[in-house]
Amino acid sequence: MSALARAWAVCAKDATQELRRKVAMVAVFFFAATALTLVSFAIGPFGLPAADRPALEAALLWIILFFAAATGLPRAFVAEEEAGTGLALRKTVPAVVVLAGKSLFNFVLFLAMALITIPGFLILLDWKVNSPLAIAATMLAGGYGLAVVSTFLSALVARAGQRNVLFVLIAFPLILPLLLTAISATIVATAGDFPTTPLRVLLAYDGAATCGAYMLAGVAWED
Amino acid sequence: MPTTTIAAENLDKSFSGTPLFSGLSFSASRGLVAVSGRNGSGKTTLLKILAGLARPTSGRVHIETEGAAALTPSERRLAVGWAGPDLELYGELSAVENLHFFRKAAGREADTADLVRRLAAVGLAEEAMRRRVEEYSTGMKQRLRIAFATLFDPPVLVLDEPMVGLDVEGRETVYRVLAAARERGPVLLASNDERDFVDPDQRIEMKGSRRRGA
Repeated sequence: MSALARAWAVCAKDATQELRRKVAMVAVFFFAATALTLVSFAIGPFGLPAADRPALEAALLWIILFFAAATGLPRAFVAEEEAGTGLALRKTVPAVVVLAGKSLFNFVLFLAMALITIPGFLILLDWKVNSPLAIAATMLAGGYGLAVVSTFLSALVARAGQRNVLFVLIAFPLILPLLLTAISATIVATAGDFPTTPLRVLLAYDGAATCGAYMLAGVAWED
Repeated sequence: MPTTTIAAENLDKSFSGTPLFSGLSFSASRGLVAVSGRNGSGKTTLLKILAGLARPTSGRVHIETEGAAALTPSERRLAVGWAGPDLELYGELSAVENLHFFRKAAGREADTADLVRRLAAVGLAEEAMRRRVEEYSTGMKQRLRIAFATLFDPPVLVLDEPMVGLDVEGRETVYRVLAAARERGPVLLASNDERDFVDPDQRIEMKGSRRRGA
């Protein structure tokens, strides 16, 4: 059986657990909805100067997406350790396969959250997007990197004390370049151009994150 | 049937510089190896090292099958079946779903009829197999742990306190599993209760930082 099929089994297991337990899903969607509502009430469709809107809207969108994701994505491995199921998983499945499966689940969770948040953003803030295709590409590339890095860091901190603080401390320098680039890409896409350079940077980040996570998965999670 | 041997060579384990055990060596090819010792003597840690779930501070564990090539890391992972008190399976999934997941994720075929047969062999009723594990009693969870340990028909079986929480029928079920497994290969059984060791072929007595073989 291929590694992809095995990773898919991990992803499907996480999805089944999540659909039955609804811990990460509720936290992520509730945070996204709350943040979106607060931003729309505070700023509204006319609260921003026209010239500054693309940059501020892009930053606000990614802040909402990032913090909503941050409430759920780091749980990937942490939940296994908290439930005591990590031993069974380590006994039977290589860390790389688990990491791939959990990253895939987190990526799907991020996309689902983006699919709900972005229409809300469009309506409540009267966000004008001139290149929806570029926005979609930015979400895919940015979401993938966020999912892989968050999942890897979750493996890294899963068995540490003070894991929440540790996650934030390690995540900040690693995820900041991704967020800044994703915001740049979103600004360009909002204006109607295709963000070729930022997307290249995002794809390079995704590639580097995938390689790094693949090489270090065993070190991060296995004893 | 080819013989599989598990051998430990000068195993040392320390926590924060304090030795738990040192210079532990043994070799077992078939039969029951009784691992005994007081609480905190290192039985659980030793069994986790043998199962590949913990690293020794120094020393090595070899697993070799007569006439077969050296095991790959993935094969080695599945060659030692393990169950212990801190093994938990997914509460949101049923017993069948749990075993199905572990077979698939390990890259093996998962035939539901075979999984049902395995769960029946450890005494889980068909109705219980379909219920979520979080609804199980302590004894039912213990039976599921035994099914997990034998899920890949491992040539080496390592069980840590497998009788805990089991009723008489459950203990008899585990004895049956042990009897079949010790005919195929080495079975390492750790327990605080001497009655759990039925005609052991070898003994490892953990004595804190020292070990006596018999």
